[in-house]
This record gives sequence, C-alpha cells and structure tokens, in this order.
Amino acid sequence: MTDEFDSLDPNVRWIVTEARRPVPAAAAARARLIAAIKAEPVPSRGLRLVTWLSEPHRFVLPPLATAALAASLVGVGVLGGLAINRDGRSAAVQLPAVASGQPQLPDSLSPRAVKFVLIAPQAASVALVGDFNGWNSGAAPMKATDGTWTVFVSLQPGLHTYSFVVDGSHFVSDPTAPISPDDGFGHRSSVVLVRKPSL
Amino acid sequence: MRAITLLAIATSVSFAQDTRGRAADPLGRLDPSTRYAVEMLMDSARMVGLPYGPLESKALEGIAKRASSRDILVAVRRVFRSLRDARTALGPSASADELAAGAGALRVGVVGSELSHLAATRNGNRLTVPLVVLADLVTRGVPRDTASLTIFQLWLHGAADDDFLGLWRSVERDIVSGTDPGVALLNRAREIPAKGPSTAVPPATGVRPEDAKS
Repeated sequence: MTDEFDSLDPNVRWIVTEARRPVPAAAAARARLIAAIKAEPVPSRGLRLVTWLSEPHRFVLPPLATAALAASLVGVGVLGGLAINRDGRSAAVQLPAVASGQPQLPDSLSPRAVKFVLIAPQAASVALVGDFNGWNSGAAPMKATDGTWTVFVSLQPGLHTYSFVVDGSHFVSDPTAPISPDDGFGHRSSVVLVRKPSL
Repeated sequence: MRAITLLAIATSVSFAQDTRGRAADPLGRLDPSTRYAVEMLMDSARMVGLPYGPLESKALEGIAKRASSRDILVAVRRVFRSLRDARTALGPSASADELAAGAGALRVGVVGSELSHLAATRNGNRLTVPLVVLADLVTRGVPRDTASLTIFQLWLHGAADDDFLGLWRSVERDIVSGTDPGVALLNRAREIPAKGPSTAVPPATGVRPEDAKS
C-alpha cells in the first residue's frame, strides 16, 4: 500500500493526504450533534422490524439444509423457466437480444421488445394475453400509471394475435391495432406484426 | 430445521412440476376427446406443411375465454380450413404469416380468387400487412368488394406496408367519427400517392380485380 502510495504523482499524494486529514469538529458542534441524536425518539417495534429486515444479517445453515435450498432454487430456475412445445422446441421466454448479454441470435430471429398500452382508468387489473404467451393471463400483467396500462413483451418477428384481459375476465381488443377477423368465441382480438429488421 | 428443509424441497418440486406441467401440456385443460381432435388437426396441419401454431393458439384462446369444448373444436377446424384455403389461394411460397393473414381474410368473406390476384402480383413483396388490413376493414363494415378491390389497386400501384397501415388508421378514425365505412375507405385511398403505373381508385362496387388489372 505504501509503495503504491509512494509511486503516485506528488500532486495526487498531496490530495490524498489532505483528503485523509481528519476534520476537526468544534466542541460546541459535537455537543449539539449528540443532543440531537439523544432527542430522536426510540423507533417503534414496527420500524425496528423494518430496520432489521433491511439490514444485513448472518445466518448459519447446516450443510444439508444449504444443499437442499440450493437444489430447490436450481430446480425452480431450470424447470420454471423452460417450456417445451409439442415438437420439442424450447419456448422459454427470451429477453431482448440487446439486454441479454448472451450470444445473439441471427438478427432476423431476434425477439423485439414491443410495448402494449391500454387506457383503462376504471380497471383494477389488466393483463396481456396472446399467442406468444399461450393466452395465459398470468404471464404478462400490465402496470398502471394514471389509468394507462403498459407492458413490454419480447416477441419474435411475425404476426401475433392478442387481447387485453381487464379485471380478470373481460377480453378487450386493442383500439390502436387492427382487429383479427373472428375469434369464434364472441370476442375480437387484435393483430400485431413484429417486423424483421431491415438489413 | 429438518422440517424446513423437507418443506423447501417439497415446495420446489411441487412448483416445478406444476410449471412444467402447464408449459409442456398447454392443452391439458381440454377434455380428452376435444384434445384428441385438436391434436389430430394439428398433426394434419403438420403433415401437409401448414403452420399448426395458429391451431394450438386458437385452442388456448378458447380455453382462456372459457369457451365450450364444442366451440373450441369448431373454431380450430375453421382455422385449419382457412389456412388450407389460404395456401391454395396464395401459393406454396406463402409464408406462415401470410397464410395466417390470408386465412383471416377468408374468414371474413374475402374469396380465394381475390387473394390469388394479390399473390400473382406480389413481385417478392410480403402480403401480410395488406391482408391484415383487408380483413380488418371488412370486419369494420367496409363492403367486401370495395375493400378487396381498393386494397388490390393500392397493392398494384406500389403501396407499402406503411401506406396500408396509415390507410387503416385513417379509415378507422373516420368510421368512429360516423363516416360510412365504404366511403371512408375510398376517400382515404385517394390520398395515397401512387408509386406504380396508375393512380386510379376503383368505384365502390361492381368491378372485379381481373377487370381492374386490364
């Protein structure tokens, strides 16, 4: 450490030395600070619990429990994130290529982040369903800001059919997108075309 | 501690099995006979080289919308037939997206020969967007002949995807404002600059694509 310090530029050494020099505090200021601390009310039980939860703690687990916990987390991660189609293709949800940090797919196959928006101030919940998530209303819940519900979904290039599910049971087509002809079930869905990037 | 360990293992295994079950067997919520029929249709589609994803998606859509097994099967069969007819109309080189869009157009009443006319003049361009817009316009009340012929004319004159999407937005806005759907389409179609040999926009009815081409 000393060798490293000595090898620094003299100006840098001076700055470091000055920065390390303790700042003298006036006795009156120190007294005011201690008095202010003492004047703070003792945290309530709930606040102490929150504080305790927000601070780091050390836990000791026996090796068997540690191995079991690790195995369970790996199991959830591997099996929970993987889906297999009928033809054996992996259907795991893929992040946008730019965000994955993984070797990228050929550009024409890369998923695109698509933003879906529905203005529904009265809705308590809105979800996006479509052929890209198996029409599973739990797959893409939307978040509301002042009555505007939005979600970003990674979609493969191509034609996709989708709908919004409002309050868990009402299927609503997207007013800003073309509608699909007929869903056969008494509701209309919408269509989005995710384009391949131009080369 | 042992109890906690066992609980963690049991919970993770249960969750993983549930997740895997839902993902690997999305049609598991269909009754056995409907599921069998749907899978037969999917296998048939695969055998004849049609995309089977739209069939599975339609079944899952029906499940999500709590449709009856009968309605689900009817809808899946309808998608299968329309995909098959769309390929007949658009030709074997049509992409999966074009087939899906063409199938949608057929399901709203556009006839196969009109799709064939579009496909015959594609010159390597993708038909997906024009077909989606065509199906949407007919669904919104534009007379089928008017919609088909207008889309065909625009296509013939070099309209691009953005032109069709812009047309759709304008017409949709006009319809919401109370304009007659057919009139809205014809008015808005005239605003699209021709990029091809002619700027003519067809009359509302009575002219077939083969007449328009000549």
